[in-house]
Amino acid sequence: MTEKSITEALREALDEELQRDERVYVVGEDVGDFGGNFGETQGLQEKYGDKRVRDTPLSEIGITGHALGAAVGGMRPVAELQFADFAATAGDEMVNQIPKMGYISGGQFTLPMTVLAPSGAGIRSGAQHSQSVHAWMGNQPGFVVVTASTPYDAKGLLKSAIRDDNPVFFLPHKNLMGKKGEVPDEEYTLPLGEAAVERTGEDVTVVATQQMFHRAMEAAEQLAGDIDVEVVNPRTFAPLDTETIRESVRKTGRLVAVDETPLRYGTQGYIVSEVVSNDFFSFDAPPQTVGVEDTPIPFSPPLEDEVIPDTEEILAAIRRTF
Amino acid sequence: MVSESNPDVDDLPRETADVLLDEMMRIRAFDDAALEQFREGDVPGFLHLCHGHEASHAGMGVAMAPDDWLAVGGSRLHGQYLVKGVPMPEAMAEIYGKETGPNRGKGGSMHLADYDRHLYGHAATIGSGQNPAAGIALAQQMRETGNVVVSTIGDGGTSRGSFHTALVFAATWDLPVVYVIENNEFAISYDAENLPIEQLSDYGEPLDMPTESVDGSDPVAVHEAVSAAVDRARSGGGPTVIESRVTRMRGHFEGDKQQYRTETDADASEADPLTSFRDRLIEAGHITAAEYDDRYAEFEAKAREAVEFAQESDFPDSEVAYDDIYEEPLYGQEGGDR
Ligand SMILES: Cc1ncc(C[n+]2csc(CCOP(=O)(O)OP(=O)(O)O)c2C)c(N)n1
Repeated sequence: MTEKSITEALREALDEELQRDERVYVVGEDVGDFGGNFGETQGLQEKYGDKRVRDTPLSEIGITGHALGAAVGGMRPVAELQFADFAATAGDEMVNQIPKMGYISGGQFTLPMTVLAPSGAGIRSGAQHSQSVHAWMGNQPGFVVVTASTPYDAKGLLKSAIRDDNPVFFLPHKNLMGKKGEVPDEEYTLPLGEAAVERTGEDVTVVATQQMFHRAMEAAEQLAGDIDVEVVNPRTFAPLDTETIRESVRKTGRLVAVDETPLRYGTQGYIVSEVVSNDFFSFDAPPQTVGVEDTPIPFSPPLEDEVIPDTEEILAAIRRTF
Repeated sequence: MVSESNPDVDDLPRETADVLLDEMMRIRAFDDAALEQFREGDVPGFLHLCHGHEASHAGMGVAMAPDDWLAVGGSRLHGQYLVKGVPMPEAMAEIYGKETGPNRGKGGSMHLADYDRHLYGHAATIGSGQNPAAGIALAQQMRETGNVVVSTIGDGGTSRGSFHTALVFAATWDLPVVYVIENNEFAISYDAENLPIEQLSDYGEPLDMPTESVDGSDPVAVHEAVSAAVDRARSGGGPTVIESRVTRMRGHFEGDKQQYRTETDADASEADPLTSFRDRLIEAGHITAAEYDDRYAEFEAKAREAVEFAQESDFPDSEVAYDDIYEEPLYGQEGGDR
């Protein structure tokens, strides 16, 4: 095990997959000499050349749209968007084309492509660079939507995303790119479509990813000895491993769903409804949701901090279930 | 560049003339049969017919090698599926939404795709198929397959940014792709005359691509232009933009009242590329009127058989609606380590 940042973990995953499979190539704005917006592709072009680590003109339509065709044509592109927010500028590609072509073709086309795009708020960049988009794309059956919360997750899940035969929208968090954690020295992958129980507990289940995951873990520590919190990290939002979450609630009888997506039609509601409709009689208290109120993400630091849920809010939500 | 005069059929090898005519007849017979069935209320959804585009479709289809890819655009689709080699019965079955179609009924007329025949199919959000075409071309280039991609679009679709992005990517990476713009002057009702650009192939000029505008009612002209562009792309010469000027003989879709059409352009039968090619071939002594009629009758019979095949085929089982969403198991799930 070695301490690494999420950026380093992502870079290692790309490096190893470029090495492993010549159909893999990395493509996007400034992924070459510049080394990626967060440094995640640093040095890769030097190592693999400008065909396999490929700079593009500035167009998300071109990046995602060509990647779709390249995947049909037998390649395994990792198409990078500098910020996940920009998926909206390739709206038709992201909504109508990529997640639909496998289905429309009646299963003739496989689309082994990854869209790698840092998502989420907290880096003081205003409403158009701060969104959590996994609810948008989770709403498109056909896209596998994956988030990374730790360096360990980032590396293991990105490698799986690249090897998976589905289009995967892979979302590390912008504000966690420098976050360090233990990463195994030996080769490993993590399963897609499976939630991880990151901390076991008997009294309440908290479901959270990315920044919210770390805040949920912090809340759990603060409550230790008083309330025994189980923390589940879904890792993949679409398709969602509801079974692991339900099993946890059947044990604890309480649920708090925390996410950075807006509460209005965000992931929290879906997670709660899956458990309520299937395991209603396991509940000892009404489930709680924590998320961003219905507002774009503001720029000014105190305002941004105000709308993004903090540990206090998670603690309060947990307490409401008792 | 504009090709002023149509190439002479006399210069054309007999076999090429025959295939071009066959393909045009196949398309017409197929679409006439589809129209008849649509009127019977048998065909679900919209029906967009190719009448007037047959020469353009035949010319480009015959210019391609079987392993070249076709990404279809515009809305005149059936003819393009057929020239890419999809047999009439399979194409008709897909239009009917039957399980015997290449997409097992999940695509329909606007999305017919055939992986084995290297038919990508159509992005029914018009103009969104051109970037995937560039990507398929990139895959050919990186994998050194030697195959070329032909991608079509209508005059309407050229106004979308996605089309222009595709040209930028194709030119930047010298991709083996040929963009064919079938300009039939109408995007549903919007007249291409209103566009400030003289000929739509000029969109390739600022990117230094070879461009050409040809009479798309002449299969020989289209065949020559697309063949040259395909050859260039195959030998590493990069992308080309071709405008193929055609006539849309019918409404945008069946049921279109066409109030937007003037009387002169409503009388589109004069521009029928099938009868004019037939007349040229008869004049050149390639074929007699009687031989033409006999051959056409054979295609009509085949189209009827295709309709019967489609009618007799089953609809997919309802559970099929839930297949093909994900390739399962996902990577790393039990059994999913590939
Ligand atoms: C992005 C998008 N906008 C609008 C439509 C609706 N629509 C379908 S076909 C069409 C006109 C297409 O015209 P053109 O590209 O010239 O092709 P043609 O019908 O002439 O073959 C329109 C507006 C669509 N399918 N997709």
